[in-house]
Amino acid sequence: MKQLFRTIAITFMLCVAASPSFSQTGKTGTYPPIDSDAVEQFGGPEGVRNWVEGLFYYIMLDNRINHVFREFGNIERQIYLNTQLVQLVLGGDVEYQGASMAAAHADLGITLTQFNAVVEAAYNSCERIQLTYEACNQLIAGLAPYKHAIVTR
Amino acid sequence: MEEAKRNKFPLSKGAALFVAMLASSISHGDLFDSGKVLATGGVSMIDGAGGGGITPWATITGYATKEGINGDLHYTYAPLANYTLHSVGAAVGFWDRFELSYTSSSLTTGSTFDTLGLVFDTVGGLTDSVAGLPISTGIEPFNTTIDMEVIGAKVRVFGEAIYDSDNFIPQVAVGAFYKTNKNDELLTTLGADKTKDWEAYISATKIFFPINTLINITARYTAANQTGLVGFGGPDGSDKEIRPEISLAYLLRKDTVIGVEWAKHGDNLNGQSVEIAGLDLTSLQPTLETLGLSNVAGTLTQNESDWYDAFVAFFPNKNLSITMAYAMLGNITLTPDQHGFYLSLQASF
Repeated sequence: MKQLFRTIAITFMLCVAASPSFSQTGKTGTYPPIDSDAVEQFGGPEGVRNWVEGLFYYIMLDNRINHVFREFGNIERQIYLNTQLVQLVLGGDVEYQGASMAAAHADLGITLTQFNAVVEAAYNSCERIQLTYEACNQLIAGLAPYKHAIVTR
Repeated sequence: MEEAKRNKFPLSKGAALFVAMLASSISHGDLFDSGKVLATGGVSMIDGAGGGGITPWATITGYATKEGINGDLHYTYAPLANYTLHSVGAAVGFWDRFELSYTSSSLTTGSTFDTLGLVFDTVGGLTDSVAGLPISTGIEPFNTTIDMEVIGAKVRVFGEAIYDSDNFIPQVAVGAFYKTNKNDELLTTLGADKTKDWEAYISATKIFFPINTLINITARYTAANQTGLVGFGGPDGSDKEIRPEISLAYLLRKDTVIGVEWAKHGDNLNGQSVEIAGLDLTSLQPTLETLGLSNVAGTLTQNESDWYDAFVAFFPNKNLSITMAYAMLGNITLTPDQHGFYLSLQASF
């Protein structure tokens, strides 16, 4: 039995190690892939910016998570960098100037419940900017793998 | 378990009490958590486990993440052509890792069973008065009800159904049910080998966000007839076999999911007639004809079909889900074409 669990664990870790890492250098490689026109579905870079502003609007209304972002400081800068990041994971041709997700969240002790709260804010923002649920899920697919870097507790 | 029986305190009732106590004691403690995203706890399948309608998924029931405990109550109502299924139960998910469930199902029967019950009652009365041999079939003249209790446990082994969109590894869980059917006499009449049995399953679940789709594949190791409502095994014994089940769901909105399911069923009782007092019904044929009921005998061959359903699940908030389905269950024992609507409500803490 122990042997079985070890085999499963090793197989699992190999598979995780083989999957692309996230240094924010390009579109997130998902299965199946994110739509090639995902940024356009969001209404281009301006639309992505609107979505990120909506995201922060809902984050700041959620007492489970707003303090984390407030303590991080400079919300305008966070919105600016997140707009770059979202375009990038959707396949947009931009450069991301912020820190890696792992570095940015290493000391924050983010829980899965808090991460999920941001996901809920993400869906709320999609609805607020009249984005289809299908387009919204392109972004959810692109950001979902960051869970490993962000949730540290 | 033997001791519990002697104390006239059924194990299953004890389990129900345990689940209920856990559910109430964690409601306000630090352990309570409801941090999953809406709908990602799934709904309650008829055996009580977290999943779809007829298939257990690898997801752990309730809205708890790995930080806590959460649970739910469910009620399922399926009025089919000749049967009505009621299923009531409770389930608790622990740290998004482990799940315990208890469900009590009752299946009220009609038409063919009523006719049979009436015949057996009459015939039994005759043999009793003539030869002092009452016939006990477990089929009442009206409203024969089949009762079954199901205890379930499930553990998530590895994988991440929701967030690992960058790989194909599904969330995988293994689980088991212990089912106790209360209708010994009726199951003997129908030719089932056992009234109590366990079954085990392994499920793999994965959400593919770019195509808004959830896929679940389950392999269930079981000897059940109609999930155990008609007992386990048949005249050839009750060897278990692996039966596949598939759920395919499309995420329509963040609070609405539609989909289809298929569950392979067995053929332990296919072609089997009804047995009374150790006699196959064919030997009763002359008696039935004397009573002017020759047409009854022709309807007494049992069959079992695979189950299918098409569903829409609505999650207005994290405390409630409403699943409506059209269930196509085919032949159930003596009656064909058992199709009908299915409603399942789940209340989460």
